[in-house]
Amino acid sequence: MSATDVVGILVTTFILGSIYGLVAIGMTLIYGALRILDMSQGSMVMIGSFVGWGILVVAGWNPIVAIGLAFVATFLLGTFTQLVSVQPLMKRRHEIDFEMITFITTFAVAIVFTNLALEILGPQQRNVTFVIAGGINVYNGVNLPYQSLAMALVSIVLMAGLGVFLARTRWGMAIRAVAQDLDAARLMGVPVGKLYPLTMGLASALAGIAGVFLGGLYFASPQAGDQPLLIALIVVIFGGLGSLPGTVYAAYAIGFIQATAEVLVGTTWALPILYAVILLVLIVRPQGLMGKPSEARL
Amino acid sequence: MTTPILAVSDLSAGYGDAPVIRGLGVTVEPGEVAVIIGPNGHGKTTFLRAVSGLLKPSRGEVLLDGEPVQGRTPEYISGLGLVHIPQGDGLFAEMTVEENLLMGAFPGSAWRSRRSALARVYELFPGVRDRARQRARTLSGGERRLTALARGLMRPSRIMLIDEPSLGLAPVAIDTVYGAIAELKASSTTILLVEENFTHVGGIADTVHIVEMGAIVRSGSFDELSRDPTIVGTYLGSL
Amino acid sequence: MTARRLFPLMTPARWAGIAAGVVLVAAFPLVYRDQYVLTVIVTGLVLLVLNISWNFVLGVAGVWNFGQLAIYALGGYGAGILMLHTLLPPWLAVLGGGVIAALISVLLAFPTLRLYGIYTSLLTFAFAEIVQYVILNDGSGLTGGSYGFPTVPGLYSSLSPDASMRAYYWTVLGVVVVSTAGLAAVGHSHLGIAVRAVRDAPAYTAARGVNPLRYRVIAFAISGFLAGIAGALYISFNQSISPSAMGLTPMSIDVTMLVIGGLGTVFGPLIGTALLTIVQTALVDHPGIELTILGTFLLIVVVFVPGGLVGLITRTRNRVAAWAAEGEGTREKTAGAAEAPAPVPRGDPR
Repeated sequence: MSATDVVGILVTTFILGSIYGLVAIGMTLIYGALRILDMSQGSMVMIGSFVGWGILVVAGWNPIVAIGLAFVATFLLGTFTQLVSVQPLMKRRHEIDFEMITFITTFAVAIVFTNLALEILGPQQRNVTFVIAGGINVYNGVNLPYQSLAMALVSIVLMAGLGVFLARTRWGMAIRAVAQDLDAARLMGVPVGKLYPLTMGLASALAGIAGVFLGGLYFASPQAGDQPLLIALIVVIFGGLGSLPGTVYAAYAIGFIQATAEVLVGTTWALPILYAVILLVLIVRPQGLMGKPSEARL
Repeated sequence: MTTPILAVSDLSAGYGDAPVIRGLGVTVEPGEVAVIIGPNGHGKTTFLRAVSGLLKPSRGEVLLDGEPVQGRTPEYISGLGLVHIPQGDGLFAEMTVEENLLMGAFPGSAWRSRRSALARVYELFPGVRDRARQRARTLSGGERRLTALARGLMRPSRIMLIDEPSLGLAPVAIDTVYGAIAELKASSTTILLVEENFTHVGGIADTVHIVEMGAIVRSGSFDELSRDPTIVGTYLGSL
Repeated sequence: MTARRLFPLMTPARWAGIAAGVVLVAAFPLVYRDQYVLTVIVTGLVLLVLNISWNFVLGVAGVWNFGQLAIYALGGYGAGILMLHTLLPPWLAVLGGGVIAALISVLLAFPTLRLYGIYTSLLTFAFAEIVQYVILNDGSGLTGGSYGFPTVPGLYSSLSPDASMRAYYWTVLGVVVVSTAGLAAVGHSHLGIAVRAVRDAPAYTAARGVNPLRYRVIAFAISGFLAGIAGALYISFNQSISPSAMGLTPMSIDVTMLVIGGLGTVFGPLIGTALLTIVQTALVDHPGIELTILGTFLLIVVVFVPGGLVGLITRTRNRVAAWAAEGEGTREKTAGAAEAPAPVPRGDPR
């Protein structure tokens, strides 16, 4: 492996890791606050990528509009998803296996969104072209396109913004409170009936924006939500369900593993290697980097 | 005659099919410190949870300043001015003391005046102020208890429900906690407190109710009940 | 072990009804010759065997195993390899496929024991994805990779197409009947009670000295074997198998079948598989709409009717019976009241 390869790996890690972080951070936020694994996040990425395609390619407007519209659209859909697939089960949460049932219901929503998109838009892959051309020659021919750099930076800003929101604002603190002690939070007057949909909306919106980026890096298609979902699951487990810093570290770690695997054994084997990694993690240390062992192991 | 702050009648509640409290009734007047004493498992905590809305009663009525609140959500009931300091404090373990206190002022009107509430609370509880930046889970038992009490004062309340403030604490810490509660009493806070036994409540209790098997079996003033030998034998100092 | 003990809910009338139903279904290919319809039915029956096995591990044992499709496929590939590369008669190859699948399934059982529900589902799912990937990218020719397995003779290649179709039909039907009856009996046996106790109250059963590992391994072994048989039947009937038998989409469809039918019940897989096969066949040209409807069904059923259709039928029957009994002033306890479907399994305690 040459120095060029190493630099190439680092660049890919930076870009992929930042975007993966954006995809996964919503999922871990939802798990922390609602204690559910939201399987519809992948379809939010897919919808975001189609919004990107619609705005950038069909309408020809600039990326900021695409990001803004993707945010709004997926925010609303995320809220809607919570209201139909999670909220009705909240009353019974102690009588049933709540985590597993919501796994299935959010998964069902993902199926509906994916296949509606399939029916309406057709299975073809659409290219999402951004406007920014050119890039930086980082080292010996390793190119860092401006467009990818912008995506990575925006992702980082958004993740940092989420951190600030959670740490400093009233509703951010309320979300953290609900994640740590639901009963106590309700006693403080936190309206969980509103907070839950808002949290899922916010998380889905972040995934939607990541979808605009992933659409730009790869393409937009109705089936293109499956892989981001799996990546998000891998990142979130690796980092520790419910831990936001853990998710961020894990995102870069996974980006690194994928980039390295791609160089060493080629793209086809990169993804199975990731699965093997997560399999190992689940056997050896299911709470991941920063999760709590008591939540994962019996 | 003034409206009682809290009027509970014929309350039954439990988990699953078996009721833990049955037909429980109690009244708390403004400014009164009412104490419920009873052995573990006889419904003290269940009762407080049913009043604050964490548990839905299967029967009965809870009137907060005359308004029926049984079956309402805890968010709603707390919005009416009921502060419930749960067993085990209910602190947010990963948040700092100050963040916990701020969460105490979550409702809109309280939030706007949170800075002054914080200042006031820090003055009342200097020990808490000293730990403002510490994570709640690193505090000792007594410090946690005081923080929970302090948090309860971050917004105006009509009544405070306090669940076993002496639980798990060393005697010195218990004295500090009850000292704080005495100060609350001195400022005319209406309090409904539950404890397992009489040991520390003498100085603050206006009325004492004995609960057994989920219902109130005796009520009276502290002096009255502490002179009754059967009650003393069962509840005084039995640790 | 009398029939009464193994099948406590069965009355002679019910036995007769079921026997009649089986005879009717078995007679079908004798009168109806449309090969397309028969193919759909046989394929559906093979899927039903898979679903019965999945229902056992998911519903009865309560383990959130999302790797069952991979086990099924491995059974099929295993049987195929045995058929192609060894001198084993096809029947033994099919059984061999079942055994291979059972062994792999048992291996999977061990790590799941220490994890909470969600993590188990992710573990088994990651396992399934790896299996699919490995097969898809297998260039060695052993599995045929993404092109599918090389053609195998299957069980009845010596017969005429018509006769072979009927032979497969009756074979798979036989497996369905035997496995349904067998697992229903297991469900009421000592083993079944233990398995469900471990599912519903793991701490309690452990405290009573019931070894959860033993029962989980047994549950995985049984369901793995049956899934492997299903896979082996699949590769025999279709004379090939490809990685597309696994994956997210087939899994969603199967899970939907199980949940809609009623997870953990005896007839749930039957109803779910039958219903959804009909829907799928009707909408075969519009996969998008078909899956949208499936997804919506799944959502509605899980939220509003968690016991699935079997649960709905049982509840309706109970209500009707209670209403009828009220008129007589006696409280008649119907046999159906006992067959309440397993509540969608409770997770491990926290």
